[in-house]
Amino acid sequence: MREPLIRSTEDRIIAGVCAGLARHLNVSVGIVRVGMVVLALAGGAGALLYIWLWLLVPTAADEAMAAQRAFNPRNIAENFARGFGASGAGRDGTGRDVTARDGSVSRPVGQPLTQPGAAAVQAEVAAPRLLQRGGKEILIGAALVLAGGAVVAQLAGINLPWGTWLPVLAIAAGAVIAWMQLDDSRRSGLMDRAGATGAQGAVRLLAGLVLVVAGIVTMVSGSITWEAMWPTLFASLAVLAGVLLVLAPWVLKYWRDLETERSGRIRETERAEIAAHLHDSVLQTLALIQNRAGSEQDVTRLARAQERELREWLYRDKRQEEGNLVDRVKAVAAEIEDAYGHPVEVVAVGDAAMTDRHEVLVHATREAVQNAAKHAGGGISVYVECTPARSEVFVRDRGPGFELASVPPDRMGVRESLIGRMERHGGEARIRNTGSGTEVHLSLEHPQEGTAS
Amino acid sequence: MTEPIRVVVVDDHAIFRSGLKADLDERIEVVAEAATVEQAIAAIHEQRPDVVLLDVHLPGGRGGGGAEVVAGCAALLGETKFLALSVSDSAEDVVTVIRAGARGYVTKTVSGAEISDAVQRVAGGDAAFSPRLAGFVLDAFGTAAVANVDDELDKLSARELEVMRLIARGYQYKEVAKELFISIKTVETHVSSVLRKLQLSSRHELTRWAVDRRIL
Repeated sequence: MREPLIRSTEDRIIAGVCAGLARHLNVSVGIVRVGMVVLALAGGAGALLYIWLWLLVPTAADEAMAAQRAFNPRNIAENFARGFGASGAGRDGTGRDVTARDGSVSRPVGQPLTQPGAAAVQAEVAAPRLLQRGGKEILIGAALVLAGGAVVAQLAGINLPWGTWLPVLAIAAGAVIAWMQLDDSRRSGLMDRAGATGAQGAVRLLAGLVLVVAGIVTMVSGSITWEAMWPTLFASLAVLAGVLLVLAPWVLKYWRDLETERSGRIRETERAEIAAHLHDSVLQTLALIQNRAGSEQDVTRLARAQERELREWLYRDKRQEEGNLVDRVKAVAAEIEDAYGHPVEVVAVGDAAMTDRHEVLVHATREAVQNAAKHAGGGISVYVECTPARSEVFVRDRGPGFELASVPPDRMGVRESLIGRMERHGGEARIRNTGSGTEVHLSLEHPQEGTAS
Repeated sequence: MTEPIRVVVVDDHAIFRSGLKADLDERIEVVAEAATVEQAIAAIHEQRPDVVLLDVHLPGGRGGGGAEVVAGCAALLGETKFLALSVSDSAEDVVTVIRAGARGYVTKTVSGAEISDAVQRVAGGDAAFSPRLAGFVLDAFGTAAVANVDDELDKLSARELEVMRLIARGYQYKEVAKELFISIKTVETHVSSVLRKLQLSSRHELTRWAVDRRIL
């Protein structure tokens, strides 16, 4: 299959058109560049072609963005529809919904030229962008060489028509600067309207405009006298203002449409994401529950696991960092709940960053919860409390309870993995029979430096 | 034999309402059911029940859910007690409805017997705390804050902290009483006092904690 026509962002001198074209046509970049230059010398055709391609061909980043925004969620939604269709219910409604969405996703101008070659796109995006910097330097170098060549030619006696060339060069430079800006803003601006590039972009646009205007004025001033210049300039400005006035509503409308469409697309994406999540988790579990309706224990276990997963997704405490003590204890509780089918309720106050000693605490907690699940059954309560001074874990069950003294010495579980382990790491483990179940209390003093609480 | 406790069940899921009705024991009589904020407020005003079992998430009204029902029945708060029932364990939902005036909170997954106990307790003017609610309280008031005077709204007393910790550890009221060598009545007094503080406190940390979670 032929590579998609995409402007290259890494191997570029001006805008990566040649490199993209070369990859698309499967010929060497050098040949394309030479060809382009030759065409450019043939009455500027190459330059025109270049500019045209520049405007119409998207960059890899553009494509990746479009792929990310339009394709991924849609794939998920399609999966969702397919999953629905497989079960035979609501196929039509969902299916049509998805197609309708297809139609409504319109892409930024200039993108439909290519096909989504997702893998190639990803690879290109990942490639280092160092060369881009080099490209700029090459460009400046080329300009300097050209200028030098011109000066040498002048010295050698060849008369260059400076009066014509300088303004043309200025106009070209101005246009390039302004278009580079357009290019950038299309790339980043559509993705997020972060104002970081705002000031710089305005300066660039202004510089480009000044160059172009100055070039045109200089060019025109060759044929008109300065006295006639001002009225002409004024007249042109008046015409420009009139055109702007007429076009402004359209521009505004276009902008507003773009905005609504963008927010609509964001909503669609969110909806698709939620649909996908519900499909992957809840619907699957419900199907499983229907299959296992005979086994009460399986059903309870599935329901608990699904509840936990959904709760985590919906109500996750944003402040709670992943990988911290509470997170780890919750993971341990979930694991044992799944393995033994007894509900494990975790209540946490505060949190602490993990250290090696906290790792020990998590292991001991695991052992305690597992013992409770194995020997006591029923509901198990886990309470984690972290203060700057210490971390504590209480594991409580409602089983028959046991006396540590009555445990045979050869049974190493409790003594070794709970008490011994905690004590070796400067912690403490106490097991007591509350009369209606057993409670294991694990505590770990923190060294003086504070922890998050 | 004492009069049964008259209860209105407010939940938008009919399956859950009927399941709950079947689970509640004979001390409790369900006099009305409601599925939306408006229905709930109307039913409560009509029936004047002892206890309202109130789902935190409800359709209708201005989207305020259970808290809006409590607010809509503010005039009855003296005679009608609210017990929040929720499937959501998020602090936002629970603390909002508690601060609106509910006297307790239990998760929907607990057994019928436990809910019946909580209804009894709330009907008797006490507060019903689940381990998770106790966890929220400890999180909000801090585990080290100790009030010098019991009446101080912004801090918990040492005893209240102990009680909250035990509840968070999964102890029932009678087990807390046994553990601390106090009567169940005293435990209930402490819990009610914590509830009052949770409802009324404007403690700086509580406010910040709530703002963090977009509660207030």
